Amino acid sequence: MSAYDEAMRTAAVLLVGGRSSRMGESKAELDWHGQSFADRIARILLRATGGPLVVVAAPGQRLPSLPPEATVAVDTNEGRGPLEGIAAGLRALPDGTVAFVSSTDAPLLHPALVEHVIAAVDERHELALCETDGRLHPLAAAYRASLDERIQELLDADQRRPIALLEHARARILDRESLLEAADVARLDPELGSLVNLNSPDDYARARTQALPEIEVERFGLLRDGGRADGPPERVRAATLGQLVDLLGLELDDHIVAALNGEQVTRDRLLPLVAGDHVSFLTADGGG
Amino acid sequence: MASTTAAPPGYFGSVLDIDVGGAHRAHQLAPAHLRDYLGGCGLGTRLLLDHAPAGIDALAPAAPVIFSFSPLVGTPLTTSAKFAIVAKSPLTGFVNDAMCSSHFAIAGKLSGHDAIVIRGACDTPGVVIVDHEGVRVEPAGELWGLPAAETETRLRARLGSRYRVGAIGPAGERLVRYATLSHEGRHAGRGGIGAVLGAKRVKAIAVAPSTRVESADPAGVLTLARELRERSFGPATAKYRELGTLANLLAFNALSTLPTRNFREASFEGATELSAEQLGELRERTRASCASCTIGCEHIYEARGGGGVRVEYENVFSLGPMCGVADPDAVLEASRRCDELGLDTISAGGTIAFAMECVERGLLEAPWLRFGEGHALLRAIEEIGAREGIGDLLAEGSRRVAAELGGGSGDFAPQVKGLELPGYEPRTLQTMALGLAVNPRGADHNRSGAYEADLSGELDRLNGASEHVAAAVQTEDRAAVIDSLILCKFLRGVFAEPMREWAELLAPVTGWDVSADELEQTARRIVLAKRIFNLREGWTRADDWLPERLLREPVTLASGRESALPRERLSSMIDEYYALRGLCEDGRPARATLESHRLPAD
Repeated sequence: MSAYDEAMRTAAVLLVGGRSSRMGESKAELDWHGQSFADRIARILLRATGGPLVVVAAPGQRLPSLPPEATVAVDTNEGRGPLEGIAAGLRALPDGTVAFVSSTDAPLLHPALVEHVIAAVDERHELALCETDGRLHPLAAAYRASLDERIQELLDADQRRPIALLEHARARILDRESLLEAADVARLDPELGSLVNLNSPDDYARARTQALPEIEVERFGLLRDGGRADGPPERVRAATLGQLVDLLGLELDDHIVAALNGEQVTRDRLLPLVAGDHVSFLTADGGG
Repeated sequence: MASTTAAPPGYFGSVLDIDVGGAHRAHQLAPAHLRDYLGGCGLGTRLLLDHAPAGIDALAPAAPVIFSFSPLVGTPLTTSAKFAIVAKSPLTGFVNDAMCSSHFAIAGKLSGHDAIVIRGACDTPGVVIVDHEGVRVEPAGELWGLPAAETETRLRARLGSRYRVGAIGPAGERLVRYATLSHEGRHAGRGGIGAVLGAKRVKAIAVAPSTRVESADPAGVLTLARELRERSFGPATAKYRELGTLANLLAFNALSTLPTRNFREASFEGATELSAEQLGELRERTRASCASCTIGCEHIYEARGGGGVRVEYENVFSLGPMCGVADPDAVLEASRRCDELGLDTISAGGTIAFAMECVERGLLEAPWLRFGEGHALLRAIEEIGAREGIGDLLAEGSRRVAAELGGGSGDFAPQVKGLELPGYEPRTLQTMALGLAVNPRGADHNRSGAYEADLSGELDRLNGASEHVAAAVQTEDRAAVIDSLILCKFLRGVFAEPMREWAELLAPVTGWDVSADELEQTARRIVLAKRIFNLREGWTRADDWLPERLLREPVTLASGRESALPRERLSSMIDEYYALRGLCEDGRPARATLESHRLPAD
């Protein structure tokens, strides 16, 4: 790890405003297997970055329930394009932060892609954004928080298209090939579902028919459901930890906790699950 | 002996003070002392402060060993048959309050005393007997050299089955600094109580009941006991009942909290072979319970060549992953031999693992002592128990071995204050990291249950901060009370509001109008009393710290990420801990703190 990496702090910005005109209803509030789009994406961003997380909303916008770590910033110039929202989000973050900025219509976002894009903002770059099929994704991109002033200058000059920023910042473009060079992205999000935006009811309906991510499950102690201790783990498809425990017939009560990928211990039913996840269930009491 | 008029119900108000080389006498305990320190670890600590000469060598004849009973023992409350043994530790030089269970607790209390202090030394090996005839010391020459369990069997055959016996094994006789005292196969394991008794040439203490103890409200106690019994069958104790503490092993492995090869790693490739899930299927023979216990946590496994071995998580962690040994036969045999010799398995395994690393690094000349070698583990245990070969050095514990070997080995000696670390990886359990660093008796998982907070899902276990400090204080306080009442910690999960519910259990026994707030104060007083003893024995802030390895080297998680515990983070948590405890920056209690807890200023 370089000194640069050690100094870099990561964060996330989630833009939930926007008109959702083609969808016909607020995309932030759409349901994704038991939780709203906004809540799911917010929690995926927290998984990938550890926070802080700024949710940028339109003035007076009704918001679905969000993780407690989220702070809400209001885009007072709502309606003037995403660059306004990006600036509002970056402004709320501490200096020295690199933030992944996401839209609220990408429920297939994978933490591995978020981490890869953030890591692409090295000492030589100020932002990194994805590109697929010739299309840039400014809302699947990582920005230095310090870009907020330059973005404001562009907005003051009525340059509202995010692409304008490319001429005023040291940008790195991550095309499909370079994204898939990252082993985790290639393994866990090979179709780059992270970059799929659901804009219309048809998009939404199609996405909901997709198979949920397959989760590797391991139960310890009394929670084991037969089988040898050295047997293969179970595999269950689920979008959230809550959905997973319901399918397994478990309850995250005072006596049972889950661990995601061997890291944090949790009872959070809204924890979003993604391809490649491994969930361990264990009794909460570690005494001995 | 009848209760003194001044003693509250549940107590006798008496301490029996035995000089094994001379006289004995009973003296009265002030009721205020009983209410301030309850019993068990609390009362024992206070008596140690009162009875131990400042700066005494832990192995000197004048160093007292205090068997401390408690108000709840002798009642029908489940899991209350426990006692504490408190002494200055020959391993740490600080306070040591080891606990043990079962019939000795009941018989000892019903000898008519709230505590028995043993001091002095026998000219030849002896056994201390306390019964209806009083106190006597009988020769124990024929028992010297025997395992504790056999000593116990022979003494009960000689004295009668009414007698309950706590005995030391050969390791205690040879002053191994982490020798245990054992009773009915259970050990007052940590800190070297066995060596303190061995230095007095006391092979065993045998107690027989000679009186009764009354509760203030026997019907009320019985009602509470019935309720508690029912609750003890619920989900909060299921893990202990069904699999025992060894259930931790595989789960801890998945969470990278299983110290492996002297804390170089936090997960072990051979964990499955040693797991409760696997051993339970292939080897389990039977379960056992302490007296007055409805949980029944003890799981006894079949050892190679027959015979049962009582297996706990800490035995298997310290003799298995810690030493890199995956062979269950070797680990079970090592555990069995530690029991026979009377060795604390955590300190034995920790010291051996440390020695294995020293051999790798060329600091110690013992080429046979390699990580992963079951036969080397067994040979090391035998040599420690006999204090022969390399065992004479390893019998001193890892801190003294490091001081002897030098070469920077102190940085990776797995100990705090000289007590070897239990099986909770501090870098991935950062509330526990604080608990281990500041605990008065050293790296200890019984007087600080801070790992509970790490495993609760409420805190980020990989990034210790202010909320972790508050959680560590809370678990330490709860341990101080439950270890003084005494109830078994494996019951703690049934209490939604522990202090309030414990006050409700204590009230009908003692007749005290005791509240949760009072018990909170009692907890703080007990924790501070231990710190005051340590201060008197030379403690400084530098003793509240973790081995440098844990602060310098990150540990790799199952996900491939790393978890680190920077020294600045630990230092900051310790600062906050001191502030919450009413201590000055140097860890010494502020005068106002002492006064508010009625603690001695010097």
